[in-house]
Amino acid sequence: MRNTYLQLVQLITGILIAVLLGIHMVTQHLDAVLGFFGIDIGHPTSWSSMIERSRQGIWAFIYIALLIFTLYHAFNGLRNIVLELTPSARAERVVTGIIIFVGVVFLILGIYAPLALLS
Amino acid sequence: MAQIRPRPNLLGVRGWVYGGKYQLERYLYILHRVTGLGLVLFILFHLTATTVFRVQGQGVWEATMGVLSGNPWFKIGEYLVVVAFVYHALNGLRLFLQELGFTLGKPIPPIYPYRDSIRKKRPITIVFMVVIVILAIVVFYDFIAGGW
Repeated sequence: MRNTYLQLVQLITGILIAVLLGIHMVTQHLDAVLGFFGIDIGHPTSWSSMIERSRQGIWAFIYIALLIFTLYHAFNGLRNIVLELTPSARAERVVTGIIIFVGVVFLILGIYAPLALLS
Repeated sequence: MAQIRPRPNLLGVRGWVYGGKYQLERYLYILHRVTGLGLVLFILFHLTATTVFRVQGQGVWEATMGVLSGNPWFKIGEYLVVVAFVYHALNGLRLFLQELGFTLGKPIPPIYPYRDSIRKKRPITIVFMVVIVILAIVVFYDFIAGGW
C-alpha cells in the first residue's frame, strides 16, 4: 500500500519536474536557439547572469521546488531499482536509510544555497 | 500483519537488462532506467557545483565553470545529460499516459493467437520517439552554435 502512494508521488513529481526542468533547460542551455528567435539571455553560466537570477525570489522558489521534486523522484527511482534485487528486509531498511540520509544532505545544501544568495 | 512480498527476482542483476521476447517498449524501459541512473549521477555533481562551490563567491564559481566549459569531455557529457533528460521526460510522459490507461487502445476479445499489451506496436510510441530525436537535434544545434 505504501509503495502505491510512493509511486503515485513519483508520477506527479515526474510531471512537475518536466515543466520546471523544461524552464531550467531552456534558460540555461538553449541560449543559441533563443538567440535565433531574437531573445538574448546572455551567458547563463556567467557570474553576473547567475547572481542576477539568484537575487530574484521567483528563481529561488523555482530552484527549491525543482530541488524537492527532483530529489524525491531521483532517489525514489534509485530505491525502486535497487529493491528489484529483492534484498532481505534488513538490507531494504539499510538501503532506504542511506538514500534518505544522502537525500536530506543534498536537500539542506540545495535549500541553503539559493536562500543565502537571495540577498 | 502479514506483508505481501514481491516475487523473488531469480535473474538477479541480469533481470535489470534482460528484455526477453518483449518488443520495443521493453527496451525503451531499459533505456529509461539507464538515462534515469545517469541523471541521478549528474544531479549529485550538479548540486555540489551549484551549492558548495556557488556560495563561495565569484572566484570559485568562475574557476569551476572554467574547468567545466574548457574540457570537451564535459561538453559531450553535458549534451548527453540534456538528451537523457529529453528522453526520460518524454518517455516518462508516455508511461504516465499509459499507466493511467490512456493511449493503450481498445480492449479486444481474447481470441487465439492472443495479443498481449506489452507486445503490441503502438503508433504513439513511434511519435514520442520521433519528437525525442527532433529535440535531440535542436539541442545539438545549440551546442554547436553556442561556441563549441
